[in-house]
Amino acid sequence: MSPRIDTSKLAAEHRLSFNADAVAIALALALAALIRFNVIHHIGW
Amino acid sequence: MPTQTISLPSVQPAAKSPRPQHLLGLVPGVLLLFGIGVLGKGLEQFMHYLRTAHHIPTPQIEYVLWAILLGLLLSNTVGVPRVFRPGVATYELWLKLGIVLVGARFLMQDVAHLGGLSLLLVSIELVLSLSVMTLLGRVFHLPPKLTSLLSIGSSICGVTAIMAAQGAIEPDEEDTATAIAAILTLGALALFTFPAIGHALHMRQQSYGIWTGLAVDNTAEATVTGAIYGDDAGRFAVLAKTARSAFIGFVVLGYAVYWASQGKATRVERKGLFLWQKFPKFILGFLAISVLATCGFFSGAQITSLSNLSKWAFLPAFAGVGLRTQLRDLVNQGWRPIIVGVLGEIFIAIVTLGLVYAAYRHNGMW
Repeated sequence: MSPRIDTSKLAAEHRLSFNADAVAIALALALAALIRFNVIHHIGW
Repeated sequence: MPTQTISLPSVQPAAKSPRPQHLLGLVPGVLLLFGIGVLGKGLEQFMHYLRTAHHIPTPQIEYVLWAILLGLLLSNTVGVPRVFRPGVATYELWLKLGIVLVGARFLMQDVAHLGGLSLLLVSIELVLSLSVMTLLGRVFHLPPKLTSLLSIGSSICGVTAIMAAQGAIEPDEEDTATAIAAILTLGALALFTFPAIGHALHMRQQSYGIWTGLAVDNTAEATVTGAIYGDDAGRFAVLAKTARSAFIGFVVLGYAVYWASQGKATRVERKGLFLWQKFPKFILGFLAISVLATCGFFSGAQITSLSNLSKWAFLPAFAGVGLRTQLRDLVNQGWRPIIVGVLGEIFIAIVTLGLVYAAYRHNGMW
């Protein structure tokens, strides 16, 4: 029986070409530093 | 049968350095994610304006749900064009960025208290859900490895856990695809059922958030299901889900050891390294930001800015949840995995609801 769902497509949709954890941590720390040292003064919602 | 040893690469293939053209290829999809997210936020505000300024009865739908609905509409009608797909996959990055930043809203004493409570509840939930899912798999005659994947996916953290288990227990390709599709389908159902149950039971933000973090499979769906109920519920869902995700390595390792003992998977030689590789590292970022906030590194206004920044990061992640959900997979995957999944999820939802009720009923926080 052939696969009814394309695994490689599913897997590709959940894979990034970079480490999302590392990039997320680096981005968060960089943004936190910019806010802490008042380079970014305020972020609204 | 002689056992082999899994060779654990020092750097995972998915984590290799991206080339500039790869990064450029992400731009259209990222713009689509943010576009849908911002449109969802705009629609919420526009509906609110129509209700208050012109007294026009419009649906009171949160931006979270608008973003998901718009994403669902696009992906299930015209589909997501190929050029957008690499960027749409970055929803995972924005989700993790939002989770790390939301750490600023939790002081370490809250993390220790609520995280400790969550870890206790997760431990109970894991034992019960893994047992019941295994039993259901046998009752419905599912292939054993598909049962393992469904158990791992529904007990810990959905697709991430299934992908982590794929290399460890070596299932058939079809089993992996079916398990992923079933978990995504069940996650989509949770988006609409959990908030309704929460409102019917008059649950408070904290108890509801902890419940969704314990019961909903994927981190993205758990965050969204919490955020639909309210921003605070979303934060608590993230905390409980993070505690649950911390178990991923241990559970996957347990299944890998079991299948290797059956001679149906390769043996894990360096278990410490295996646990570290499967551990979701973004949790460390969440804890780091929380420690900084606890130490008074940020002022009150700066913590508000970080909190708002986490909402902006979650916005494209919510759009991504809608964009990647294919409703046709609901019918394509066969009825037995979905029945096992649905029954298992109902069991997990009831058990975790009972656990949360037991934990919160005494202090009036239910």
